[in-house]
Amino acid sequence: MELEELQDTWSKMSQELEKQKKLTNEIILKMTQDRYQKKFSKIRNYETVGAIICYTIAALTLLNFGKLDTWYLQLCGILTIGFLVILPTLVLKSLKKIQNLDILNGSYKKNLVVYIKEKNKLLKLQQISIFLSYVLLFIVVPVTTKIISNKNIFLTDVKPLQGVALIVALVFIFFLTRWGYRGYKKVTNSAENTLRELED
Amino acid sequence: MSKETHFADVIREHQSLLYKVTSIYTNNEEDREDLFQEVVYQLWKYFDTFRNESKISTWMYRVAMNTAITQLKKSKRSPNSVPIPEYVLSNSETKDEVYEERLKLLYKHVNQLNTLERGLMLLLLEGKSYNEIASITGLNPSNVGTRISRIKQKLKENMTKS
Repeated sequence: MELEELQDTWSKMSQELEKQKKLTNEIILKMTQDRYQKKFSKIRNYETVGAIICYTIAALTLLNFGKLDTWYLQLCGILTIGFLVILPTLVLKSLKKIQNLDILNGSYKKNLVVYIKEKNKLLKLQQISIFLSYVLLFIVVPVTTKIISNKNIFLTDVKPLQGVALIVALVFIFFLTRWGYRGYKKVTNSAENTLRELED
Repeated sequence: MSKETHFADVIREHQSLLYKVTSIYTNNEEDREDLFQEVVYQLWKYFDTFRNESKISTWMYRVAMNTAITQLKKSKRSPNSVPIPEYVLSNSETKDEVYEERLKLLYKHVNQLNTLERGLMLLLLEGKSYNEIASITGLNPSNVGTRISRIKQKLKENMTKS
């Protein structure tokens, strides 16, 4: 087979392809929008799972709220439910806004402004969540101990094992939140660069 | 005409170009479709930057080939075995066995080329001039000439062997 024959075969293949144009404008536009959304779907899936866990714990706390028999345990319970409902909702809302940016119809500048605003909001939320996860650890322990074992942790001595468990939990939260925050920064920076490239 | 309608028209008009580029650089239909979508997305991203200084097809080849190479780097795969897309085989009514045999042979020869050579081969088969190939690839025309001579030599040797 000579090069000319290769070229002839290629030309025939091109003609076949021309005959079989399958894509419509709708498919092309949807494909483009889907591709953008896909870049955010992984992080959104993680957040959705996290939110479901938070909502479940909040619901269980609410169902057992009657067991919290002192004002400070009730305050801990209210704060626990508040944190577990509000924070994941805000994060999901912010992610949804970023993911649903209309990259086909919105102008580049408009999208970039919305994106950066939402990105900063999301990162700020993550910073708040990191701080609050330490606070939550201290308020959720008395609540769960009371609900599960019917013990008021404020009136009992902390055993050495419980102290160790608390330190382990603090170290775990430290590494988990650091890993999570870095992941966020990476994804948001990458998406921001994507939008910035439009200007180059 | 709105920007998105114009964009979709351009893609629709040149979809065979995109099929050819993406099929040259991928190993299977799933990867080809994924690359196709990424190329369309990249074309959308850069659509505003197209200034009509060159033909739109030249610009599309450039973006598509760059995207394919970037994807290959990311996936750390080499496009070893290129399949023949079903849709380019002749249909049963007009089944042309000679054409199908030649097409298989063509892809077999393409398989033996490296990433850059595949790109040049694609453009050569598309009937592009050295200047057009240079404009798409960023190589200078004399470099294109040298590399294409080498590819032709390589192909000739492979064809003699087979």
